[in-house]
Amino acid sequence: MKFKLNIITLALVANAGFAMAADGYGVGSANVDKVKFDKWVCKGCAVETGVTGSVGVGVGYNSEDDIHSANAFGSDNEFAPKLDADVNYIGESGYRAKVEATDLGLDNGRLDVNVGKLGQYNLNLNYRSIATYDSNSVVSPYQGIGGSDLTLPDNWQTAGSTDGMTELYSSLNPFELSLKRERAGLGFEYQTESLFTTYVNYLREEKTGTKTASGSFFNQSMMIAEPVDYTTDSINAGIKFSGSNWFTSLNYDGSIFKNDNAQLGYDNAFNPTFGAQTRGYMALDPDNESHIVSLLGQYTENGTAASARLMFGQMSQDQDLVTSGYGYSVPTESVDAKVDLTGMTLKAASRVNRSVRVSGSYDYSDRENNTNIEEWTQISINDVNGQVAYNTPYDQTTHRAKIAADYRINRGMKLDGGVDYKRDERSYSEREVTEESTVWARYRLNSFDNWDMWVKGSFGNRDGSDYQASEWTSSENNDLLRKYYLADRDRTMVEARVSYTPLEALTVDLGLRYALDDYTDTEIGLTESKDSSYDINFNYMFNKDVMLNAFYNYQVIESQQSGSSTFSGPTWQADIEDTVDVVGANLSYNNLMDSRLRLGLDYTYSESDSNTQVRQGITGDYGDYFAKVHNINLYGQYQATEKMAFRLDYKIEKYLDNDAANDIAPDDIWNVMSFGSNSHDYTAHMVMLSVNYKL
Amino acid sequence: MKIKMKLNSIIPTFVAMVLLSVGMSHSAYASKWDAKMTPDEVEAVLDKKFEEGSYSPKGADSCLMCHKRSEKVMDLFKGVHGAIESSKSPMAGLQCEACHGPMGKHNRGGNEPMIAFGPNSTLAPEKQNSVCMGCHLDDERMSWNTSHHDNADVACASCHSVHTANDPILSKKTEMEVCTSCHTKQKTDMNKRSSHPMKWNQMTCSDCHNPHGSMADSDLVKPSVNETCYSCHAEKRGPKLWEHAPVTENCVTCHNPHGSVNEGMLKTRAPQLCQQCHASDGHASNAYLGNTGMGSNVGDNAFTGGRSCLNCHSQVHGSNHPSGKLLQR
Repeated sequence: MKFKLNIITLALVANAGFAMAADGYGVGSANVDKVKFDKWVCKGCAVETGVTGSVGVGVGYNSEDDIHSANAFGSDNEFAPKLDADVNYIGESGYRAKVEATDLGLDNGRLDVNVGKLGQYNLNLNYRSIATYDSNSVVSPYQGIGGSDLTLPDNWQTAGSTDGMTELYSSLNPFELSLKRERAGLGFEYQTESLFTTYVNYLREEKTGTKTASGSFFNQSMMIAEPVDYTTDSINAGIKFSGSNWFTSLNYDGSIFKNDNAQLGYDNAFNPTFGAQTRGYMALDPDNESHIVSLLGQYTENGTAASARLMFGQMSQDQDLVTSGYGYSVPTESVDAKVDLTGMTLKAASRVNRSVRVSGSYDYSDRENNTNIEEWTQISINDVNGQVAYNTPYDQTTHRAKIAADYRINRGMKLDGGVDYKRDERSYSEREVTEESTVWARYRLNSFDNWDMWVKGSFGNRDGSDYQASEWTSSENNDLLRKYYLADRDRTMVEARVSYTPLEALTVDLGLRYALDDYTDTEIGLTESKDSSYDINFNYMFNKDVMLNAFYNYQVIESQQSGSSTFSGPTWQADIEDTVDVVGANLSYNNLMDSRLRLGLDYTYSESDSNTQVRQGITGDYGDYFAKVHNINLYGQYQATEKMAFRLDYKIEKYLDNDAANDIAPDDIWNVMSFGSNSHDYTAHMVMLSVNYKL
Repeated sequence: MKIKMKLNSIIPTFVAMVLLSVGMSHSAYASKWDAKMTPDEVEAVLDKKFEEGSYSPKGADSCLMCHKRSEKVMDLFKGVHGAIESSKSPMAGLQCEACHGPMGKHNRGGNEPMIAFGPNSTLAPEKQNSVCMGCHLDDERMSWNTSHHDNADVACASCHSVHTANDPILSKKTEMEVCTSCHTKQKTDMNKRSSHPMKWNQMTCSDCHNPHGSMADSDLVKPSVNETCYSCHAEKRGPKLWEHAPVTENCVTCHNPHGSVNEGMLKTRAPQLCQQCHASDGHASNAYLGNTGMGSNVGDNAFTGGRSCLNCHSQVHGSNHPSGKLLQR
């Protein structure tokens, strides 16, 4: 074999004698004075050239009508073929290729192909898709769904309320609310024998489908289908340099977003009110660009590692403004919005001695919105005509600092703790400055043979500059309101985890977490939020072939808020209780039938529930708002021959959800024409048969 | 042991490792020397050996005299760490001893400790990891020393295997199971009514988080929360003419990206979520009682029914319409 000396080894041969165990056992610190490399011929190194790996194909059958089931089954088609591959090629002289395909053909398919010469260059091709399905039973009278021009049928009769729209029910058609992404990328990396590597990656993503929007006129509104037809091109490129104990890189990240639809026009289903508008236009997300350049660096020496990043970027957008139906002059044809981003991050960790390590970081980030401020006339969507407003481009500067230390009391005991500090400065805000400090500590104990446990606690306090009604944002808000993301807040958190392994084959884990957010100076707004959770996990190996994992997770989030219907002190309260239970088990039985058969069962049940109660003299609630989901996957894999294996999966999803606010007919609300009920109630089955062939 | 137990019991691809560990379970020790030496003694010997640099006379050939019978050892040559043609592979340098340390007198019966890896090794994770980090100095791992996993004493080899053609931890099919075996809160979240599509592996944790640490909070792959969100939701990036301040500031002001019992991963449903910040005189300040049993229902009015506040203020992520100040167009 040809023998090449590792560059890192070469570097340290030059610096021989500087071995320092403080840095651990990195090859850069190795003492190679006595090594006689000419004798290291590695006759026994057995790199076999050729192709290895496996390929598989499968086909699934799903008869469910409710398209929501396609989220779990990975396809909305009745028959869903897929391809899996895991193929390695090792050639002479370091040429290698790898093809990895996972569920290719299904909605969550991936493909990753790498071809290159080790340590020199690599060419990468990749593909990935993601689809999410909301509903195929929602209804709308609009024609042209999927496009940017929604029209009502010619015979449509407008009315002052939805129940007066005589053509509504005869015009309704079901349509699909779903989004699909497909991305494909190409990347190239080149390395030299010396210190540098350079790379460039390009990725294009197409996102298509429809999502829910609302078009409104004064106090009347229609749910409308917003078309999604986005293309995002991303490019990142850079150059990296590294030595035995340092690394630096200069990187560029660019992203260019294009929306095929600039605006969404829709007919007014109601009788025209103010402004006699029969048609409305909504500005859809504008084309935009983002360009970021960053410089990274890292240095390690004597048990200390320091790293830094400098970042400069700009996000910009100059989409032509929507003027259809606007009726006023615009100060500029496009906003030409520009936001400059600046960031600096410094981090360091240093081992003081065998038991103590300290670390610290500082992060500065600045968002400066340089968009021009102009005067914009607002359409008379209410009964005040032609109001003028000025845009308020937000600036934000954040400083974050953290220090922490960990103390290894002995091999099985560790104590660590630290202080985090954050300061935010904002423009056009009720509170220009907020500051938050958090102290935390954690103790880990794993000195007993069968136990591993830790407990962590933290307390954070946020306050800041005077909370005042800024003329730009909140002159109209109640003086007693404290927006929760700006408000004074005490945040307390405790968390503990215990892992117990009484037998070699059994592990039981228990976790508990409690967090309390107390908004100490809030009379109107969110006043308190409590988040409690626990989970139990159980792993047991009955024998070398049979394994069981079972778990139960529970969480409850309780929030309280107050409001004032008299624009003064609190007159009403809302209590919200969100709960979730997740229970599941995975059982697998291997090596049946002379080690040819493996059977398994995966089961999960999750129940999400939210209860909202509002009190003002009398008490009301928001009705049912839950989702109950059972998922079962029963599978068997049979190794028919040494090379060929068959697998059969049987999947079931039993899904039930509701939302009393949305379990409504299109005309249940006099001034909102809705999509109808978007609840789901189904039991869906999928069978998938696949064959895997070992190359 | 615990991490490995978890991985073994939940991931079919780890079955081979399970069998291996069961096969060894009659000896309670991960390595031969652990029976006779305390972990501290092992570490002291390893430190001394590393400093002395008594490498083997013939490199890998010296090691393979005994270890070539182990399939797992020989599987190294199926992966990149066993590549003999690359100048950047350990096999081109100190070979086996690049990672396992100088042989010293280990070849005399195998009693002298070598650097051993994985959750069964008694060597402190930090010391194990120093071997890996000695070469893996790059942008993906430059924040390892301040990362969550480093802090939690996770050894590289607790997750990664190099004696294999394909490191099973890199499989996207099992990533969610691996991460949530410790991150149980996120396991709860992803099973809630709404979440990113992680339950079915369409997305995985590493789409947003770097398990090796990053320069950002929560080990995010991009410099900030919003930058991370924009990497898939570029349409929200704008900058739009009319910005909604909490949206511009931080997506997680309103959303829990791991999942929520509410639709749209919202922390609270509308109108309550909106009323936590909007209390102007008029409709934003009113109490919306929902079902009172006295004639009013949650689904019968535009303030609580349908999309609630979004029935009119549809453009909550900002508007680029000249008349978009109230986020209606």
